[in-house]
Amino acid sequence: MALQTTVEQVEGLTPVTVVALDGELDGATYEGVIDTIRGLYAAGTRKLLLDLSDLSFISSSGLVAIHSAMRLMRGEAPPDTEQGWEALRAISDKVERGRTHPSLRLCGTQDGVQKVLDRTGLGPLIPSYPDRESALADF
Amino acid sequence: MTTSERRLRIPAELDRLADVRKLVRDATRAAGAQPGTVDDLVQAVDEAAANTITHGYSGDAGWVEVTVAVSGDELVVTVEDEAPPFDPTIIAEPDMTVSALVRGPHGMGIHLMRLATDGMTYRPREGGGNILTLTRSLTAQPEENR
Repeated sequence: MALQTTVEQVEGLTPVTVVALDGELDGATYEGVIDTIRGLYAAGTRKLLLDLSDLSFISSSGLVAIHSAMRLMRGEAPPDTEQGWEALRAISDKVERGRTHPSLRLCGTQDGVQKVLDRTGLGPLIPSYPDRESALADF
Repeated sequence: MTTSERRLRIPAELDRLADVRKLVRDATRAAGAQPGTVDDLVQAVDEAAANTITHGYSGDAGWVEVTVAVSGDELVVTVEDEAPPFDPTIIAEPDMTVSALVRGPHGMGIHLMRLATDGMTYRPREGGGNILTLTRSLTAQPEENR
């Protein structure tokens, strides 16, 4: 199964860009997601909600895309795909103080994907909501 | 005793990983594996095959062959290739007490493979390449043990 990416702008007190991922986020598709988010940041997106309701699989490559989204939304370059997590050291101090990422949120994460996020320690670092409405309401 | 076996050989291309996942999903479901076991083995084999394609062949042409077998109450998956030798079983476990953001980048795929399987063994392939064997019991195990 390929990955379909749908982008939607939600206007409100805080404009939010919603990127919905439908399919499987793996070694073949993760770079496309990074490119999409890079383009959105360049176009002005500063609040990003990743809607994972229809994402049925994520590999460690997919986690790099999530990491890259975190970096991009902070105005930083995405990590080199070979350096991935290493490149995120720069923002580690924030996390060490118990802060989660303010500009990136997840919603609708399926159990299998959540298990991968949690097994790699990424899950607790990004605010996560059961559905799009609750995530948007809390930006 | 092997009671059933399914095999797929793909070219070493990342967009063929979906085919590998489908094979593992179908074969483990047919063997009666619990949904969590199916998901875990799909994850582990995807990570192994992706590592081979990305780091083993590094863009060169090649193939990856995945075999899913049922042996007694155990699922046995082998991932075979002709890439330069690489033994993922000797890669050190990442320090999971450290935040994901301060950990190094490498080893998350292998970390997931370890968590998703009961056992992971490696041997060089005769004539060149690698054979990685992943095992997982068909007997349901509490999720909290993983």
